[in-house]
Amino acid sequence: MLTQLHNVEQSLNQVILGKSSQIRLALCCLLAEGHLLLEDLPGMGKTTLAHALANSLGLSYRRVQFTSDLLPGDLVGMNIYDTRSQQFRFQAGPVFSQVLLADEINRASPKTQSALLEAMEEKQVSVDGETRALPTPFFVIATQNPLFHAGTSALPESQLDRFMFRLSLGFPDHQAEHQLLQRDSSTSRLELLTEQLNTEQLRVLQQQVPKVTASDALIDYLLALVNSSRHRSDMLPLSPRASKAILRAAKAFALINQRDYVTAADVQQVFPYVAEHRLAPSSDAQESRLSQLLLLQTPCPI
Amino acid sequence: MLTQQKLKQKNLLLSWAAIQFSLLLLLQQAFAGWVIAIFALLLLYRLLSVFKAKAAISLKLVNLLAGIIAITFFLQLQQAGVLHFMLQILLLAATARLLALQHLYEARQLVWVHYFLIACCFILHQDMLIAVFILLVFAVNLYSHYRLFSPSVSQVNWLQTGRSILIILPLWLAMFLLFPRLPPFWQIPNANIASTGLSDTLDPGSIEQLVQDDSLAFRVEFDGALPPRQQLYWRARLYEDFDGRRWQVNALRKNASRQRAADTTADSSLSYRIIAEASQQTGLFALATPVTSSSNVFISPSGLLSSNKPVSQRLSYQVSSSLTPVVLVSEQEQQLNLRTAPGNPQTQQFAYQLKQQYPQSHELVQALAEHFRQQAFYYSLTPPPLGRNSIDAFLFDSRIGFCSHYASASAVILRHAGIAARVVGGYQGGNWHPQQGYLAVRQREAHAWVEYLHNGVWQPFDPTAAVAPERILNSLDSALPEDQRALLDPGWRQLALLQNVRQQLMHLDYYWSVWVLGFDDTSQRQLWRNLYRHLPVIGYSVAALFVLVMLLLLYFRVRQNRTDNTPEATKQLYRYLGKMLAAKPPSLPVSAFLLQCAKRYPAHDIYLKQLTELYEQALYKEDTEALNQLKQLLKCHKAELGRLRRAIKNA
Repeated sequence: MLTQLHNVEQSLNQVILGKSSQIRLALCCLLAEGHLLLEDLPGMGKTTLAHALANSLGLSYRRVQFTSDLLPGDLVGMNIYDTRSQQFRFQAGPVFSQVLLADEINRASPKTQSALLEAMEEKQVSVDGETRALPTPFFVIATQNPLFHAGTSALPESQLDRFMFRLSLGFPDHQAEHQLLQRDSSTSRLELLTEQLNTEQLRVLQQQVPKVTASDALIDYLLALVNSSRHRSDMLPLSPRASKAILRAAKAFALINQRDYVTAADVQQVFPYVAEHRLAPSSDAQESRLSQLLLLQTPCPI
Repeated sequence: MLTQQKLKQKNLLLSWAAIQFSLLLLLQQAFAGWVIAIFALLLLYRLLSVFKAKAAISLKLVNLLAGIIAITFFLQLQQAGVLHFMLQILLLAATARLLALQHLYEARQLVWVHYFLIACCFILHQDMLIAVFILLVFAVNLYSHYRLFSPSVSQVNWLQTGRSILIILPLWLAMFLLFPRLPPFWQIPNANIASTGLSDTLDPGSIEQLVQDDSLAFRVEFDGALPPRQQLYWRARLYEDFDGRRWQVNALRKNASRQRAADTTADSSLSYRIIAEASQQTGLFALATPVTSSSNVFISPSGLLSSNKPVSQRLSYQVSSSLTPVVLVSEQEQQLNLRTAPGNPQTQQFAYQLKQQYPQSHELVQALAEHFRQQAFYYSLTPPPLGRNSIDAFLFDSRIGFCSHYASASAVILRHAGIAARVVGGYQGGNWHPQQGYLAVRQREAHAWVEYLHNGVWQPFDPTAAVAPERILNSLDSALPEDQRALLDPGWRQLALLQNVRQQLMHLDYYWSVWVLGFDDTSQRQLWRNLYRHLPVIGYSVAALFVLVMLLLLYFRVRQNRTDNTPEATKQLYRYLGKMLAAKPPSLPVSAFLLQCAKRYPAHDIYLKQLTELYEQALYKEDTEALNQLKQLLKCHKAELGRLRRAIKNA
């Protein structure tokens, strides 16, 4: 199954050029059953990544463009009175999909934002007192414009916390962009993507993540890392939820790298992407200054 | 990062410049004025360039400059003396290095030269307060040393410097107590400082100046009880030449062969130790007739003590005195003290009268004392100026004066009456500190009295005692009227608090000189003897201490083991590859570091990769099989490990 996962990774690399580490981290997030926040300028390939991911995993994909007048009902769906059957019928919103791309999440009102975030956390939605489960796997890729852009309302710290990873694709390098321009259209490529891994296989892989071994010494190191953030005034402290997320992400990362044990290097690899938006919510995703500082200042004796 | 680095350097440069300024200040005794000026200019230039953030001067220019200055120093070698020349060259090296400082190793050299120069300060200074200052300079140097080696991330503070001083303290004390006291390697040239204390000339006025000087002349510890005040006449000078106005030390005395007193027949009734302050003179002090003394001082036949070179540092010596008058040495000495000077006709007249009235010299002196007591003679520190015949003017006109007036007049009268007499200069009395058990004699206790020849011995006679007995029995203050006491005590000295602080400092200084400066060969031998005597006790306590320390170590070891959760695999790796792993950046995981090493040392690539693999398995998977294999791999490839270690060492 890991070979299939690698096929997925390879085909994604065909579509999004020169971003292999981000693709691997995105897959890692998916395996760890976390949600992904992509922060980038418009036109950097966020949508493409989400779409490609859904296609190659054979998952149903919906995209919602968040705007300031988007209401919670537009997202989760609503009961509509059917005149023929004289009954209320639930019209499911776009949230009922396996991969949801919430585009420009920070342009929506806080009310709508929190409806989505609730769905992400509970994996279910309640409409008019009736609770409906969301499909599995349920994977949200939210994108947001950098905060300095006009008409944005920032996600509060408590809700940023719901995203396991925050990534930034960044500009492609010269060679990759050259190749990109030579091709006729990227959408055609996107459609060429075939299902490499079915939902059942993905579920099995996701179940393998918690079984990856994390030794005592490794957990000690992770705790030292997390603890070093807790006595400082220049950053927010990392919560136990954060440390859980780091460990889970590191396990998924180890799994992608075909290991059944987590190493300190795994932790160091995922740490900036899991921790930075929790340490400094308003920071730029391009740089991970605080988490790098913590990594540098925490001795790793193992 | 860059700015921090710069700031750090600026701090360091400033502290070094400060150290060199302090050194210049401390060593200024050894340098001529122009030398000091050169150093001050160089340092000022350095400071300016620090503040203006200019780059260091080129090495070539500094070398040229230092070369020229060194040559001028060398040309002055004759005047400066070898030791001072060495000090100059050392300080020049340090200053020049500071001017052209560019590399880390140069800074290291600079710090070590500073240490040496700081130690050199003790050649010139042994004072307690200055010692404290030197220690302060030392601490600054140590601090800069720390800063030099500290990584820029971690802040090294004063606390750490203090801790390192505390750690070294026991060794320091042991060195002080046990290191053999070697004789000096070179002659320390005399600094050209004005000498203090009594001069070789006594005229009305010279003692008056001393009286206003509150500084310490010497301290005395008595082996027995404190003798009565009337006996505390500290002899220091004999004035035997009188020219009608002032008294002078005879040339014969100045060049008198210094003869060690071997005479032990006289009974020594009083034994005491004197700690003399630096005076830049050879003359020292003793009571009545000194019989024996410690080897660093000499007793002249006339009962005066002297050191063989001017006292430029505090000097401590042991004397025992017999409280009997000094014996006449030769006929020549008697002749010397019968010479009279022309002038002072009234005094001559008075002397003849006395001589006729009292043919016995003993009676004559009694009568003279009686004369001073009964006539209206006054003791005062501000006598009116005397005319040409000063003795006449004093005896028959003003009748106001202090000890040197009375002593001088009495000696002149006695000589005119045909009795050999001389003026003795020295100190009288002192301040007794019962708690500390010493007598402090200050310059203001300077005194002059008379010795006259009677039955072959020099009988002391103090005319001042007849005029103002309080001066002898109490102190100078009590002998003076109220308005003149202010003369002795300038305003600030009257403040009780300051006075108290001064007093305490003086006592501290006393302990410093007794316990630190006075710790010589003899004290050391005494210490060894005491140690030897208490050997069993010391042995037991050392053994007990040893056991205690071992127990404590064991306790900490056990506790550490309990809390130490370093995994076994890591421990094994550190055991065999500790030196290599010391180079690991702290935040880098061990396996990542091993892989880096594998890349750097391709010859050991396979081995290191194998190690990494097993290590990861053992550590992260907690695989005991892998752990055993790792141990095997480490144990069986010692040769490979050795080669690796050597490769790292050579890299």
